[in-house]
Amino acid sequence: MGEEILRVEHISKRFGGVVALDDVSLSIRKGETCCLVGENGSGKSTLIKIISGVYIPDEGDIYVNSHHYKKLTPIESIHEGIQVIYQDFSLFPNLTVAENIAINEQVASGKRLVNWKEIEDIAREGLTKINVSLPLDVTVETLSTADRQLIAIAKALLAKGRIIIMDEPTTALTQKEIKALFKVINELKSQGISILFVSHKLSEVTEIADRTVILRNGKKVMDQDAKGLEIRTMEYYMTGREIDTSVITFAEVVPVTPPLLRVENLNLSHGFFNISFELGQNEVLGITGLLGSERTELALSLFGMLPADSGNIYVKGDRVEIKSPMDAVRHGIGYVPDDRITQGLFLDQSISNNIVVRIIEGLKTRTGLLDNRTKSEQANQWIRQLEIKTPSGELPVKSLSGGNQQRVVLAKWLASNPQILILNGPTVGVDVGSKAEIHELIRTLAKQGIGILLISDDIPELIQTCHRILLMRAGKIVGEFHQGEITEQQLYSELIAGTLVESSR
Amino acid sequence: MLRKVIKSNEFVIFLILAFLSLMVGTINPAFFSISTVFDILRAAIVYFIMAFGLLPIMIAGGIDISFVAIAAVTSYATHMLLIKYGYQGGIVPYYLIACAMGLLAGLLNGFLVTRFNLPVFNVSLATFTMWYGFNLFFVGATSNFDLPKGTVGYYAKFLITSQDPLVGTTGLHVSILYVIVIGVFIWWLLKYTTIGRGVYAIGGNREVAIRSGFNVTMIMLVIFAIMGILSAIAGVTQAFLSRYFNPVIFIGQPLDVLAAVILGGASVTGGRGSVIGTALGVLLIQLINRTLILTGIPVEWQKLVLGIILILFTSIPALRERRVRRMGHTTELLQE
Repeated sequence: MGEEILRVEHISKRFGGVVALDDVSLSIRKGETCCLVGENGSGKSTLIKIISGVYIPDEGDIYVNSHHYKKLTPIESIHEGIQVIYQDFSLFPNLTVAENIAINEQVASGKRLVNWKEIEDIAREGLTKINVSLPLDVTVETLSTADRQLIAIAKALLAKGRIIIMDEPTTALTQKEIKALFKVINELKSQGISILFVSHKLSEVTEIADRTVILRNGKKVMDQDAKGLEIRTMEYYMTGREIDTSVITFAEVVPVTPPLLRVENLNLSHGFFNISFELGQNEVLGITGLLGSERTELALSLFGMLPADSGNIYVKGDRVEIKSPMDAVRHGIGYVPDDRITQGLFLDQSISNNIVVRIIEGLKTRTGLLDNRTKSEQANQWIRQLEIKTPSGELPVKSLSGGNQQRVVLAKWLASNPQILILNGPTVGVDVGSKAEIHELIRTLAKQGIGILLISDDIPELIQTCHRILLMRAGKIVGEFHQGEITEQQLYSELIAGTLVESSR
Repeated sequence: MLRKVIKSNEFVIFLILAFLSLMVGTINPAFFSISTVFDILRAAIVYFIMAFGLLPIMIAGGIDISFVAIAAVTSYATHMLLIKYGYQGGIVPYYLIACAMGLLAGLLNGFLVTRFNLPVFNVSLATFTMWYGFNLFFVGATSNFDLPKGTVGYYAKFLITSQDPLVGTTGLHVSILYVIVIGVFIWWLLKYTTIGRGVYAIGGNREVAIRSGFNVTMIMLVIFAIMGILSAIAGVTQAFLSRYFNPVIFIGQPLDVLAAVILGGASVTGGRGSVIGTALGVLLIQLINRTLILTGIPVEWQKLVLGIILILFTSIPALRERRVRRMGHTTELLQE
């Protein structure tokens, strides 16, 4: 491990009355991967923004490459070799791979004309640095999230990045892609580049970190060598409480005939084949699989967004046609999408409006106008029941943290009293504390008699909430595991088994 | 490479052009003549010029309709100014004065858009109305047929002529050269200059364009200035081709130009569009407007046909997306 390249000392930052960072110190060495861990609102983003020059600290000192700063500007930060890869990757969807990689250099050089050969050379050089090859002449919009991330990394390296800050880089990646990303990170380390890896997926942190720094409520609560650091210890520091996974009570599955939901030989061309399963009352059924397993397509078919080509769906024994989301809703099926921001919420609207949107018809007075009092009563009831942390139901949804936003999506569906709820990645982008609470909520809902289909590739989540787990691969169900019969490790190896077969497909 | 060409928007529109020409030609063989080609090109000249001016703005994500009003006010005001002082010379001062006015009018749009961060369409709706109003109120409300002596023969200044047994001598007007020069210039600007790539970058992701260091304000001003100048050239050229100056020229035409640029592959949300596509789009619209009549299709139907083609065209990307989705290639977008 090389010499120290970045050090921040006694940094504090307040926004109005809120203390975002309180006397935080941190140092990163050359070629080191430092993981910055913390729940939402712990001050991770504030710290990144101070290092990249977006925010000015109230107190403290910053040393980069032994240069002393009281505050950095974004330009100074870039000149010192600090590069941030944001979650949106800062790419142009309509431009080619080559141009996206080379565009900063083109602009920075002040050249008025574009030499396309030069652009391609720059792009090739950038991709060589991370040892990946991508077609240079396709537009970025046609690429997967993982490929876009690689482009963002190549771009950061070309900008002479010596310290690369990755903000939640694995959120949108599948297990296989995360493996590939880690390979790239290790490659960068060997070139002496330092990585500040911001995440709250602790299993990944244990895998990639040389050193782990944990923030809680704006304070640094842990800073130590990652070797031998256990996930449970990290969870304890992050949340300030131990999340006990051993004492979980599952809902009793009441065997009823006919089952709540029965799917028989469901097919979607170019999607999935001969899918059959049953979902009972009070049951949480997990569906997992890697990219290409078509698990999301299956969920979308059951909700009528990608109607299946053939096969039968029975709800409580009656055969039903699900050709549109309207059909699904009529038969008591609810769907909580994975992308709650664009598919599940009206971000600028109030929390209560979001909660009642599905039952708005029932809130009309005799004159056909909206009964505002009943509306707030209904909304407040759900806010209390799901413990949505907000001072008022009239605030916009975008003012909430990820975990609380997800609760609003759940409240919206629960308000309409569904019998079957399809949850697609319900805790993606949610911090550990809220995650445990959402898991508890899922178990509680099951106890109340709702049948839940949980689509996820978060292994601890599946183990902790599901009665049964179905494993999908290339559009087929290839395994079924019962609660208590499989450990996290076993499920993980089952999940990644056959990836070789898949990739050679 | 070949597959890329075949799948491109330009190729599709080329096929429609070829199909329509064949259809019209089969019904009425008079269509297949050099004079028809000259006629369509002559009518298309000003539309090419205006569409080339509009294209960069649409790529940057804006929709403008004011260019027609700028064409009208610059050409008409220049003419009224020159004849007031008894000007009898050639055509060059017309272009110079009108272009200067067009530059200012374009910059006004650009200034309003960048300074107050307004949507391009809102600004252009305002300046569209404003410039026609200004023209009619302050400059003059009637068409003027009083051309300077030095410009009288210009309407029939041909590069090449052909003898047609039916219509007599027809020719390819010299102003087609302007079209070629302007088209090549815009193509070069968009493809080989940092400003041009900035135009695509702004249309692709405006925030990231700013973060990447593009001077977005400067780029927007430049493309509005170009639009203003090209509108002025189109206005003056049209006036000399038709041998009179009309204060409300093109008032019903902005949608034809917009349609041409969109048919040529530009997206109303920005980030896409090409010079070749735009040129083909202009040709297609002229073909529909001017030749369907040769087939005996009533005039009212021309708009209907154009509307149907536009619907088909704008739905192609959506259909393609849906097919890809069904084939499961966008799983990475659907999966978290």
